[in-house]
Parts: sequence; structure tokens; C-alpha cells
Amino acid sequence: MDTLSDPVLLSRLQFAVTAIFHILWPLLTIGLSLFLVAMEVLWLKTRDEDYYRHVRFWSKLFLLNFTMGVVSGIPMEFEFGANWDRFSGFAGEFFGNALGFEGAMAFMLEAGFLGIMLFGWTRVTPAIHLFASAMVALGASLSAFWILVANSWMQTPAGGHVENGRFRVDSYADAIFNPDMPLAFAHMWGACLETSLFVIGGLSAWYIVRNRHPAFFLKSFKAALLAAVLVAPLQVILGDIKGREVYKTQPVKMAAIEAHWETNPPGQGASWNVLAWPDRQAEANVWAIRLPQVLSLLATTTWDGRVAGLKAFPAADRPPAIGLIFYAFRIMAGIGFALFGLMAWTAWAWSRGGLEPGRVVRQRGLLLAWVAAIPLGYVATECGWIVREVGRQPWVVYGLLRTQEAASQLQPAVVAASLAGFVAVYAVLLVVFLVFAARIVRKGPDMGLAPAHSAAGHPASHGRREAGEGEARHGS
Amino acid sequence: MEAEIQLLLATIWYAIIGLILVLYVILDGFDLGVGILTLFTDEEEQRSVMMTTLGSVWDANETWLVLLGGALFGAFPLVYAAVLHALYIPVMAMLFGLIFRGVALEFRSLARRKRPWNLVFGGGSLVAAAAQGFALGGLLGGLSVAHGGSADGAWSWLTPYAAFGAAGVVAAYVLFGATYLIIKSEGDIQSVSFRRAQQAGVFLIFAALVVIPWTVRLYPYVAERWARLPAFYYLAGLLALAFAMLLRSLRLRRELSPFFWSVVVFLASAGLMVLSHYPYIVPAAVTAQEAASPSKTLIFMLTGIGMLFPVMLIYNGYQYLVFRGKVRLRKRPAADEA
Repeated sequence: MDTLSDPVLLSRLQFAVTAIFHILWPLLTIGLSLFLVAMEVLWLKTRDEDYYRHVRFWSKLFLLNFTMGVVSGIPMEFEFGANWDRFSGFAGEFFGNALGFEGAMAFMLEAGFLGIMLFGWTRVTPAIHLFASAMVALGASLSAFWILVANSWMQTPAGGHVENGRFRVDSYADAIFNPDMPLAFAHMWGACLETSLFVIGGLSAWYIVRNRHPAFFLKSFKAALLAAVLVAPLQVILGDIKGREVYKTQPVKMAAIEAHWETNPPGQGASWNVLAWPDRQAEANVWAIRLPQVLSLLATTTWDGRVAGLKAFPAADRPPAIGLIFYAFRIMAGIGFALFGLMAWTAWAWSRGGLEPGRVVRQRGLLLAWVAAIPLGYVATECGWIVREVGRQPWVVYGLLRTQEAASQLQPAVVAASLAGFVAVYAVLLVVFLVFAARIVRKGPDMGLAPAHSAAGHPASHGRREAGEGEARHGS
Repeated sequence: MEAEIQLLLATIWYAIIGLILVLYVILDGFDLGVGILTLFTDEEEQRSVMMTTLGSVWDANETWLVLLGGALFGAFPLVYAAVLHALYIPVMAMLFGLIFRGVALEFRSLARRKRPWNLVFGGGSLVAAAAQGFALGGLLGGLSVAHGGSADGAWSWLTPYAAFGAAGVVAAYVLFGATYLIIKSEGDIQSVSFRRAQQAGVFLIFAALVVIPWTVRLYPYVAERWARLPAFYYLAGLLALAFAMLLRSLRLRRELSPFFWSVVVFLASAGLMVLSHYPYIVPAAVTAQEAASPSKTLIFMLTGIGMLFPVMLIYNGYQYLVFRGKVRLRKRPAADEA
């Protein structure tokens, strides 16, 4: 019962629940918005109506995801003040700024052009429509940028000093472009793209394997594959570089990720735990499968580089739940390689003519592997964030403000009630979302849908808005 | 000199945040108001029209709330922290209300059974509006927020003044919603909206007659200002005029002026509120200057968010322009939907 009477722990759980839930939606909307722009450009360039139908079909999933992202994102902003008032007071000058910029620069752009992108087909010219779609995509990615600015500053706070218990900014450029930011944003953006590509490709594969409009979905499948050829390897490389950066800026997180307890003596390489069972009490692993010297190589690119172990840091500064960090990291990295492998396998099959319309339907194994890969990007990203955020503990702002000192002093019963509310509401919403998303997918694209614009490029009609337009926006 | 610059910047940000709040209350106000009004209709088709008037704009309207949070967080971090902490319960209630109404708006169009989502949409809108009213009323009714510390308790915002504020905000949103529907609809929905707007307007007149003397009694400095500043009487006069013009335009069945006069009613009330409490940002407790971030931060935010402000207004306005005109029912059976 101890845990239920600790408002700090309850606030942490509540933020973890909202964050873990919220991330699911921008992951797809960021990638899907770019895919929609690409399809719209292809439609305008080639006049192939299939591309137009692709845009209309995938926008239905986009809208459903976007709504979930909006409603689950707004609570997070208010939780900073409500549950983390001392953090807000400490960090507001910079952190609040970053959130303000996210709202003003990114979110507003996205929301401001969304209506035109979704319902404006007959009301604006194709050029303006494309512009609106591009602004939605730009807004979505800018949103990720500012959120990563804020979060990476919590990992490697820079650009200011602490005065009277508050962070004072000396240089905005240094605070925004803090050491963690460029790679953190690149890695997260890559995760959004990769997750989206394997969702688009996986759903397309599902249609192909069931022989529903195989030629049509081969177009989106190949587009996703082509992008994955770039993104999947890049994401593995970025992850590797990111790991070495963590070793430099947050060595204790690195030690937790690898369940590495003892610093290796000079001249002797640190071994890498492939699998292990860390025991925080005993300050050692109960068991471990090791590869000698590999950890030194991974972290320092030399065979015997020094890698600080967890015991080199005071117990109070070590992250909790080392097992969670250790395995979450391995799941993330494993999925990164698995998706890379799937991409390579498919590219190989394509090069041998296996993706021809007549032959592709027989590639059952390959297509089913893509269907199975649909959730993998989500799992990897969630694991990555668990490593990032749990690994940052016991700090909220790394090295400057401890989590214990950041939380609002709320009555436990009040936080427990709101936490229970979030858990219950989000669980229901997730189920309902999946039901409706499945309904959209099962229904499939409307292959009889005619483009809203004549070839001359003028809106087909300036008709008044009908209820059905918004009402049946998923339906027609 | 430095203190003067700081005061100027704090005042500018007080004004910008006030402007964001005004935009939010008008735009999401009519959104939430339409949501509340859907609770009072039995006809599925009418509800469809009402919800369609929001389809393309509600995300953008709600974004002003996101911006409000971010701007307040950056410019007045201590107020953001202290107020949200003290208002924990109404804030959480508002968030749940907004979650429910947001998803219900989208889910309803996909659902085979519309009824549960109708209730979730209307109920969520009502909860969000009432929670905002409780938060505002709690804040203006004398919320005890110590610097960086906690309030008296989780329920310190719950006062008779706050309850009255909640009723007032709900009525104001219903007024915005109904006058917006007058512009966007025709036929039965429009006639009903005229009646609802009238009811909400009459209730708001009553609310104003109660709240104004109540506020003056709660805060000695407000009474002292009323006695000293003629601007109060001009604003009170404008408020009375706006109410009168609102009721007149509703009686004459004008389409655009009811919304316009509703906005004037709101602006006059907001003006009275600012004039009563400025420079306090938490009445009788924290002034804007005390709570403001350092000048450097405020200037940085001004060059960024301040510059973007007109751009945001332009493309938001453009969206309303693209979707101008009335929403009509489609002349085909609803059975082939979903």
C-alpha cells in the first residue's frame, strides 16, 4: 500500500501512462502525413487515379490517428503544471518556451490546414490543396522537433545556469541545440518514418495476400519498401551513434542499459552482456551471457576502452528498474535489425522479379512477415522511450533536479483517482480505436471514387457544404 | 530602467495571453456550446448537421488551448505551476471532457450505433465547459496559492462563486454555440437556435447582475477602482448595450449579428474582469510582474511566438473562409454510411 500513498510515484505512473499512450498516434501521423504528400504529388504528376484513391483511403486512417493524438496530447501539457509544479517553476523559462513554440509553430500549422486537407477537395485548387497537405506534414514533423527539444534538454540541460532554485537561460541556441537534441530528434523522426512505413507496407501486404486490389496496393507496398530501403539502415546507424553519445553524456544510463556493474580495469576490455538478470540489491547480475571486450568496442570503438560500471556511481544516482531498461533496449535494437532484415529480404525478392503483379500474391511468407511487422515499430519506439526516460531517473532534469523534488504535493487520493481515470479511459479508447481502424481497413478503398478535380485543375463544383461531407468523412 | 522594461514585457505578455484566451473562449466556446446543444435534440439528422459544422474546425480551435498552456508556461511559469496545481480537479475533469468529446466527434461517424457517442459527445462538451467555469470561478473567487507551494487542499477552488462561474461559462458557451448555429444552419435547427440563444442571453444578463456586485464585495480594491475609474462605467454601459442589441437581433432573426453581439458581450465582460484585477494575474495574490519570466525569456518568446501570431490568425481565418456557408443535409439515405 506504500506505493498508493506516494503522490510522486503516482504522478510518475500517470505521466508514464499518458506518454506511453500518446506516443502511439504521432508515430503514425508524422510518417503517414509525409506519405500522403508523396501520393498527392504522384497523383498530380501522373494523373493516375489510383494515387488519388490512395490519398483518400489513407487519410481516413490519418484522421482517426490525428484525433487520438490530439486528445491524448493535451493532457500531457497540463500535467506539467498540475502534477509537476516544482518542475514547471524550475524549468518553465526554457521548457515552457519549447512547448509554446510547439503549439504556435507546429500544432497550429497542422490543425489549421487539416480541415482543408481532409474536406477541402472541392473547395480549393489542387495547388492549394497540396500546399495544405504539405503544411500538415510540416507541422507534424515540427511538432516532433519541439517536443524532442524539450525532452532532450531534460536529458542534457544546457544553455543556462541555476539561480535561486530556477533555471535561467543564458543562450537559447545552446539550450535548443543541446548535446542530446540533434541525434535524439533524428532517431525519433526515423522511428516515426519507419513505424509508418511498416504499417503502410504491412496493411498493403494484407490486402495483397487476400487478393484484394493487389495491383493497387502493390503501389503503396513498393513505395513503403523504397522508403524503407533508406530509413531502416539509417535508423540502425543512428541508434549506434546515439548509443555512443549516451555513453559520453549519461554514462550511468549506459551502464544500466548494459547491466554493467564493475568498471573494467585498465588494459582489460569490458564484456558485453547479451542477456542477463540484474539484481539491484546485490549490485551484480544473477546470471549473464557475455561477449568479452565487446562493450568497450561498442561504447568507445576500442577493444579495451574504459566503460564506467553502475558501482562507479552513488546508489542514489543510479536508475531504478535496471532489468526493465536492459530488456527494453534489447527489444528495441532487436526490432531495428529485424525490420532491416525484412526490408533486405523484400528488396532481394523484388530484384528477382518477385514483386510482379502476377507473382507477388504467391509470396505468402514474405507478405505475412510484413503483416506481422505492423506492430513492431510501435513496440520498438515504446521500448526506446522507456530506456530514455527510466534511464534518466532519478533525475527529471539530468544532474540538476531530482524527480522527488519536482512533483506537486498533491493528496494521494486525488492523483490515484486521476490515474485510475486515465488508465480506464485510455484502455477503452485503445480498444475502440482498434475496432474502428479495423473497420476502415476491412472496408478498404473506394475504387469507384472519382477525383474531385477535372483534369483542367479547377474544382469540380463549388457546392455548398453538405452534412454528409463531415458525417461520412470516413465512409465516402 | 531594467525594471521598467521588465514591467513592459510582462504587460505585453499579459495582453498576448489575454488575447489567446479570448480567441480560445470564442472559438472553442462555440465548439463546446454546439456540443452541449446536441444534448437537447432528438433528431439524428439535426445532430449530424450540428456536428458537421464543427468537423473541419474543432482541432484548430482546441489548439488555442494548447498555445495558452505553452505561453503561460513560458511567460509566467510560477502562475502556470501554482494555478494548475491548485486547480488539479477541475483541470483533470476538463481534460477528460475534452478527450471524450474529441474522440466522440470522430468515432460517431464510424459507429453503427450512434446513440452512445452522441451522449459522450454532448456530455464531454458539458463537462469540459463546466470544468473551465469552475476553474475560472475558482481562480477569480480567491484561490489560495502560495508561491511554489500548495493550496489549502484539493478542493479549495470549490466555492459558491466558482459554481456560479461554471453556470455562467456554460451559458456563455451555449450562447456562442447557438449563435454560431444560426449562421451555419437553416430551418428547424436555426429556429431552435434562436430560442436557445435567447434563453442563454437572458440567463447571462441575470448572471452579470449577480456577479458584478459579488466581485466588488469580494475584493475591496475592485470597489475602490470602480469608484475611481470612469472606464468601468463605459464598459458596463457597453455590456448593457451589447446585451440589448443581442436580444434585439435575435428577435429580428438576424443571422450574423447575434454572434457578433455575443462576442461583444464577452469582450466587455473580459474587459471588466481585466480592469478589476490587473495587474493581478491571480487576484489579490500574484501580479503579472512578480510571476513573469526574466526579460530575456519574454523577448525570445515575443520574437518567436509573437511573430507567428498574425500568421496563425491568417491561416485559421482562411480555413473559415474556405468552409463558409451553410451546412445542409445530404439528400441520400443515411443507411449506406459506415
